[in-house]
Amino acid sequence: MTEAKTIVEDAPSYLEVVEAPRWTCSLGGAYITTTAVYDAVPILHSGAGCGIAQLLGVYYAAGENAAGGQGGTSTPCSCLIEKHVIFGGEDKLRKLIDSTLQMMEGDLYVVISGCVPALIGDDIEAVVKEFKGKGDIIFVNSAGFKGNTFDGYEDFFGAVIDQLLEPRKQEKKVVNILGVVPFQHLFWKGDLNTVKELLAKLGIKANILFTQFDGVKKLKEIPEAELNIVLSTWNGHKTAKKLKETFDQDYISFPSVPIGPKQTSEFLRAVAKKLEIPAIEVEALIAEEERRAYRWVEYLTDAIIIGMPRPYAAFIGDTNTIIGITKFLANEAGYLPEIIQITDEPPEESRDLIIRELTDGIESVLKPEIIFEKDTFRIRENLRNRSFQVMLATSLEKWPAAKEFAVSHLSIAFPTYDRVIVEKTYAGYRGGTGLLEDLLSKYVGPL
Amino acid sequence: MQESEVHLVNEKIDLSENTCPNREERANGINLYYGKASDLVKDARAGKLKQCDRKFQQTSGCTLNFYLTVRVNTIRDASIIYHAPVGCSCPSLGYREMFQHIPASLGAPDNYDLHWMTTSMNEKDMVYGSTDKLKAAIKEAERRYSPKAIFILTSCASGIIGEDIEGAVNEVQPDTRATIVPIHCEGIRSRLVQTGYDAFWHAILKYLVKEPKKKQKDLVNVASMLSYTWQDRLEIKRLLGRMGLRVNYVPEFASVEQFEQLSEAAVTAPLCPTYTDYLSRGLEQEYGVPYFMYPSPMGFANTDGWLREIAKHTGKEKEAEIVIAEEHKKWDPKLKAIKEEFSKLKPNGEKVEILGALGQGRLLAQVPYFDELGVKSSAAMCQDYDNLILEELEKVLETVGDFNILVNTFQAAEQAHINRRLDPDMTLTCPFQGSSYKRLKGVTRVHALRGDPNLWAQQSAYAGAVAYGNFLLQGFKSTSLQRTMKAKTKDGYRSWYYEQENPIFFIDNDEAVST
Repeated sequence: MTEAKTIVEDAPSYLEVVEAPRWTCSLGGAYITTTAVYDAVPILHSGAGCGIAQLLGVYYAAGENAAGGQGGTSTPCSCLIEKHVIFGGEDKLRKLIDSTLQMMEGDLYVVISGCVPALIGDDIEAVVKEFKGKGDIIFVNSAGFKGNTFDGYEDFFGAVIDQLLEPRKQEKKVVNILGVVPFQHLFWKGDLNTVKELLAKLGIKANILFTQFDGVKKLKEIPEAELNIVLSTWNGHKTAKKLKETFDQDYISFPSVPIGPKQTSEFLRAVAKKLEIPAIEVEALIAEEERRAYRWVEYLTDAIIIGMPRPYAAFIGDTNTIIGITKFLANEAGYLPEIIQITDEPPEESRDLIIRELTDGIESVLKPEIIFEKDTFRIRENLRNRSFQVMLATSLEKWPAAKEFAVSHLSIAFPTYDRVIVEKTYAGYRGGTGLLEDLLSKYVGPL
Repeated sequence: MQESEVHLVNEKIDLSENTCPNREERANGINLYYGKASDLVKDARAGKLKQCDRKFQQTSGCTLNFYLTVRVNTIRDASIIYHAPVGCSCPSLGYREMFQHIPASLGAPDNYDLHWMTTSMNEKDMVYGSTDKLKAAIKEAERRYSPKAIFILTSCASGIIGEDIEGAVNEVQPDTRATIVPIHCEGIRSRLVQTGYDAFWHAILKYLVKEPKKKQKDLVNVASMLSYTWQDRLEIKRLLGRMGLRVNYVPEFASVEQFEQLSEAAVTAPLCPTYTDYLSRGLEQEYGVPYFMYPSPMGFANTDGWLREIAKHTGKEKEAEIVIAEEHKKWDPKLKAIKEEFSKLKPNGEKVEILGALGQGRLLAQVPYFDELGVKSSAAMCQDYDNLILEELEKVLETVGDFNILVNTFQAAEQAHINRRLDPDMTLTCPFQGSSYKRLKGVTRVHALRGDPNLWAQQSAYAGAVAYGNFLLQGFKSTSLQRTMKAKTKDGYRSWYYEQENPIFFIDNDEAVST
């Protein structure tokens, strides 16, 4: 081999060429979202590896979750090969849908089509239409090259709204919860159920769509809500807007799932105000919950103050998770956010709000440096020459934290292979102490 | 048809091509069969094996994912570029954790970082092509990581739009210090995941293996898989070390230099014959490195044979006999004790039945090993079948007698079906959330993964045969998990399916047979 010329140190010319971005493709997003609706059966119209790739790269990366009875290797798939590229994959899809209806019980079948059918021009809609009257079947055109997990989540709801939902009478004090993307937001199961329970205390019926045994019925009930609550600065907004256009449903958004007492009280006040629930009821609930929550925080304060008081902290993860967790640790536990790296590439129009939340929204003399970065290589570079003592990040940062930076590390965002997360949540009044338990457990020891 | 006319296997490897032929073409591979193993080999001999389609099929793995991604990922001083939409590389998100938890006291190197990038192919790329982006990615990988090799893994999308990968590589290679190694693992190219291995070895042989500077008479090439744990590696290294030999393990956790030196070894030895096949043949054809395919070091007799084969090629026959004798002295009583315990599990001298196996290699090695344990495998599952194992499967049949075989690549419904119908005392599975683990009798895993540094998890050679025997016995000590889950959760398939004789119910007979 000839000796290479000197390589010029130049910036990459393609911003999407990166190391290990922390998401999957839109097929993956639509697929994992489908499996979060119990008794919906995903049908992949794609290459044979597209489903199992999500098992290893999303389900396991979301706190080592298995994929459930319709996910992983249980998921029907057309397993397209070259001959389909030449002759088309429609016949194969037709046979797959037909046999799946015979084989697998389900209340809704969701055909999710990937790169191959998009490139060869299969008419998915026409094939799906042939099964009209044989059960609820919808299709999501989510070619992997069209977008990422977050797009796939919105694509799924786009298909549900267009193909499954019908207008229904709106009910008072019924709300839908949007903006929490299954698996991609690690604590989605616990988060959603906590929000549901919190709102129930104010007499509000929250339709959280996922992890409900009558999941497809819950999807069909979406138009009954008088309000959509979006727990994200940007995820779920597209769906909420579409619901507004289609069913004239109002929506409000909150920057994240509320983590710990302060955010939770703020959340309850905002929802109550919107739904015209008397302040006196809300304040009574908040007083009772906060009293309990902070009495329990007292158990933690020795460990916080003696163990590692007011540490500089690095935060790395998706927008939703980072806003909630950073604000809790900064505003209720005295942590000093030094650097925050947002990894999920939120759209430009949401970035001002995100930055405001993480600067104006933080009680700290120092304001953190906020970087929007999806490239795992640059994320690591950005951590160098700083003084943080603790890192709240993903399992991608686990070994750099241990071997390069020698700091405590807790995985709180996707991907997380080094924790098992099923019901765990940091949401609500008890979530803050839960977070501190996990975080302090990384460094406490005998005094 | 005369036997001589039947195409069984392509013997020759053509490195002037960009990639290997598919397993379907190279060795008449299939991934759909249910019946007697004796009928399978008969049909194979006669050239009558047919690859049919399934109407009902489940996601299972392609030539890229997941076996190939997770292996190439572990090469220490290389980097990977996935020329693919972003979902194809997500199984690699665990790359920074691979092997990291193995203590230095067990021989893990202090410093290494694994790297991969994706070109995140998008809609624009589908229209205009994206070889420029691939070239930029190669440059960027070189700038960032100074790797010794850059592997390019292709995808369905890059294949369908007809990306000129070799053109791009040839253009940038002169300005790149790293050796660029394009691997054609477009998922659509083949039904058989093993085509991905061949494609990988083809690229290794074509681009990375160097002309031998010197022959290393004490070096043994061993292609290891993710089912070989850290302790398996250490055990094999220890045994060969006592014969005065060194192991060159590729590709798992190897350095690029280890690939370059493959041509200098005395012999290429298999852990899994069909996984190693293409590499072994290529190294012999191009550099005269001898190889053998059987046996693999699983079970006592197989390990004896494996060490003797290696010894034959390295002139270490005497040393091998000493090692074999010593190991037997140490481990024979332990194997005997395990055998006794198995014999007591069922009344009246009835043998315990285990349903297992995964790849072809495991099928061949495991069935005789279970025989050593006094355990019966009246049926086996295999991800695919091809003629590379034909002769050896015939030998296995001669030794242990006939058994049923279900050839399928992770078809969860078929696996649940055969488990329910045959109802073995123990089933070996990696569920990947198939439901065959929900049952009243025994369930345990097929194998641990490479990173496991626990002695308890090893399976290779004598120590591993004893460890795995104990592991299987342990599996009989509690059924609470699978019984509870069976009782308390729903089964995903309708009951009529389980009433059918054949697990492959939805065979597509309308579809023209194709390869």
